[in-house]
Amino acid sequence: MNKNTFLKLIGALNAGESGIEPKADAPLILLVGNPNVGKSALFNKLTGQYVTVSNYPGTTVEVSHGHCQALDRTSEIVDTPGMYSLLPITDEERVASDILFSPRVRVVAHVVDAKNLDRMLGLTLQLIETGRPVVLVLNMMDEARTLGIKIDHVKLSKRLGIPVIPTVSITGEGINDLIAQLKTPPPLSMIRTECGSIIEQGIIAIAKLIAPTSSISPRTRATLLLQSDLREQERLVKEIGEKTAATILDIVASTRAKLNHSPHYYITLSLRAHTGQILEDCVSLPSRAPTRIRNFLNRLCTHPLTGYPLVFIVLYFGLYQFVGLFGAGTLVNFLEDNVFRTHLIPWVIRLVDALHPWTPLRDLLVGDYGVLTLGLRYAIAIIFPIVGTFFLFFATLEDSGYLPRLAMLVDRGFKRIGLNGRAVIPMVLGFGCDTMATLVTRTLETTRERIICTILLALAIPCSAQLGVIIGLLSGQGAALAIWAFVVTAVMLLTGWLAAKLLPGEQPMFYMELPPLRLPTIGNVLIKTYSRMVWYFKEILPMFIIASVLIWIGQITGLFQLLIKNITPIVRTLGLPDQSAVAFLFGFFRRDYGAAGLYDLQKTGLMTAHQLTVAAITLTLFLPCIAQFLVMQKERGTKVTLWISFGVLVTAFTVGYLTHLVLTWMHF
Amino acid sequence: MNCSFCQREFNEEQVKDACRGCPSGGGCHLVKCPYCGYESPREPGLVKKVRALFKKIGREKKHE
Repeated sequence: MNKNTFLKLIGALNAGESGIEPKADAPLILLVGNPNVGKSALFNKLTGQYVTVSNYPGTTVEVSHGHCQALDRTSEIVDTPGMYSLLPITDEERVASDILFSPRVRVVAHVVDAKNLDRMLGLTLQLIETGRPVVLVLNMMDEARTLGIKIDHVKLSKRLGIPVIPTVSITGEGINDLIAQLKTPPPLSMIRTECGSIIEQGIIAIAKLIAPTSSISPRTRATLLLQSDLREQERLVKEIGEKTAATILDIVASTRAKLNHSPHYYITLSLRAHTGQILEDCVSLPSRAPTRIRNFLNRLCTHPLTGYPLVFIVLYFGLYQFVGLFGAGTLVNFLEDNVFRTHLIPWVIRLVDALHPWTPLRDLLVGDYGVLTLGLRYAIAIIFPIVGTFFLFFATLEDSGYLPRLAMLVDRGFKRIGLNGRAVIPMVLGFGCDTMATLVTRTLETTRERIICTILLALAIPCSAQLGVIIGLLSGQGAALAIWAFVVTAVMLLTGWLAAKLLPGEQPMFYMELPPLRLPTIGNVLIKTYSRMVWYFKEILPMFIIASVLIWIGQITGLFQLLIKNITPIVRTLGLPDQSAVAFLFGFFRRDYGAAGLYDLQKTGLMTAHQLTVAAITLTLFLPCIAQFLVMQKERGTKVTLWISFGVLVTAFTVGYLTHLVLTWMHF
Repeated sequence: MNCSFCQREFNEEQVKDACRGCPSGGGCHLVKCPYCGYESPREPGLVKKVRALFKKIGREKKHE
C-alpha cells in the first residue's frame, strides 16, 4: 500500500491537527500495550486475513490495521506500536501516542502480560485518564496460571471501573468475550491517580485553559505538558495559539519550580503506588520459594547495609578471583609462557629470519617492539584472556539484573560527588572501554554531570584489560592490592567531591523501574561475552598493530628514544626503574597496551612490591589514551579537555610520588 | 532486542534514533538503548546465523 492510500484509510488519524479530512471516517479500535505482550497475535486472531501493514506517514514505523468479521465491518482495528507510557521516548511510542490522540478512536484495548500486571497497570491508569473507553486485556493468562498467579478479574474490573478480559491470544481463549466487549464501547471510568497537591493544582490550572478543544481529556494533556512533552506542546500551540500556550507553559514552569524533583518522578511514583493499591486485593502471587528468594535478594542488593558488602563480595569473587587470578594469572601465564614464548614466537622469528629481510623490516615484524612479537602477543596472549574473563563476569552481572540495583544502591553516594545512580551506566561501561563510556556520558542530564563523569573516567576508571593486568600483578601481594584499591578509590571520591563543589549546578533526580532479578542463562551470557569480545578485538587489534608500527617509526627516527629519555627522570622520581618509562609511553597509545607493558616488565623481575604498587597507581590514574582524548575533545570541547588532561597528568604523578614517599616511610 | 540494563525491548530503527548526532557515526559497532542509554555490542553475524538456524529447526519441529 502506498503512502497516499494509507493516509486515506488510516494515516490521517490526526485529521483535526493536520487539516486533512479523512475520507474514511471509520471508528478505530486500538490495541495498545508494551512490546512483547502478544498484541500482534491478538490482532491476528481478531482480524484473520483482513490485514494491511504500512509505514506510519513520515516514519519508518509499521502499523497494522484491519477489520474483524465478527465486529462491525465499518470499524478498523489498529495494532499500535509498543509503548511503555503515554510520555513517548522512541518513534514507536510517538506514533502510538499520535494514533491514540485521533478523534476517531472508539475504544482502546490495553493488552497486558498477565504475568507482569504490576509493571503494566500504570499505563492502564494513564489510558483511563485520557477519557477514552478502555478495555483491559489480560493476555498470556495460561503462563500466569502456570506460575501460580491468580488474578480476580471481576474484582479488578470493579476497582478500575472498566471491563477486564482474560485471554490467551495464541489459543484464542477469551477472544469471543473480547469481541463481545468491543462491539459496544464500555462506559467511561472515573478513576484518577492523585499526584500530590502541587502537581494537582498545576493540572487543574492548565486543564482549565485547554478544556474544550481536544478529544483527549484535558487532565491527560496537562499531565503530559507538566512532564515537558514536546509533542504535546506543539499540539497545544497549533490548537490554542502561542499566547495562551505561553500562559500554560508559565504554569508548567512555576509548578516545576515548586517541586524538588521533576513532575515525571512524582507522577511515576503515584502511578506505582496506585497500581500497588489496586492489585493488593485483586492478585495473589504464589507463595513459592523462588519469589521469596527473589524478593530477599532484591532487598539484599539495594539496602546500603547489605548492598555494599555484597558489592565487595561480587568484586572479590568476580574481579579478584576470576579475572585477576584466573584470567590474568593462570590463563595469561599459560598463553604467554607455554604457547607464545616457547613455541609461537621462536617459530615466527625463525620463519622471518629464513626470508633474510631488510633489517628495519625484520624489526617491524619480530623486533623487540615488532607487530608479531609485541602487538599480536599483547593482544592475544595478555589482553584476550583478561577481557574474556572480564566480559564473562560482566555478562553474568548484566543478565542477572544486578546492574540497575547497583545504580539504585550507589545513587546516594554518587550524589556527594555531583552525580547520581544514572552515572553507573557510563562508569560501568568505562571498565569495558573508557573511550566509548565517555560518549555515553551524553545520556546524563546536565552538563555538570557530564563533565564530572568525564573527569572520573579519564582519571580513575581503568579499562578491563588494565584492571585485569593490575589485579593479576598485585594479586600475589594482598597489601599492595589493598593500597592500590584504596588510593584509586580515594582519589576518585576526592576528585568527584571537589569537582562537585567547584562546578555549580542543580542535582538531577534519578529513578528507574527495576527489571526483575533472574538467574543468568548460559546461552545469554555466552552470546553477550562473545559479542563483546568480537567488538573489543575489532577495536584493539588494528590499534595494537598501529602502535607497534608507530613505535617502529619512532625507533628509526629516534623519536621513541627521545620520548623515553624525557619520561625517564619522572619515573625515577617515582622510585621506578628506567624501563618502566616504556610502559607509560605505551599507556598513552592505549591504556591496555600500557598495562601489558607493565606486565612484561614485572615478568623480568625488575620491580619490587613497592615499585609495582606505585607504577600500578600512577598508570591507573595516568592520562587517557589517544582515542579517549579525541572523544573528550569532541564531546567536551578543546579547552575542557586540555584542562582535564592537565589535571589528570598532574594528579597521576603527584599521587604516585606521594604514595612512593609514604611507602618508603612505611618500609614497604 | 532487549536492553541488558533496563531490559526494555527495542529494534534496529530505534537504535538509529538513539545514536543520532554521535561522532562515531555508527563505527563503534554498539547498540544504544533508546530508554536508558546503555550500550551493548551488536550481535556478530555468527550469532545471528545460529539464532536463525535454531528458529528454523523450531519451526520445522512445530510443522511436524
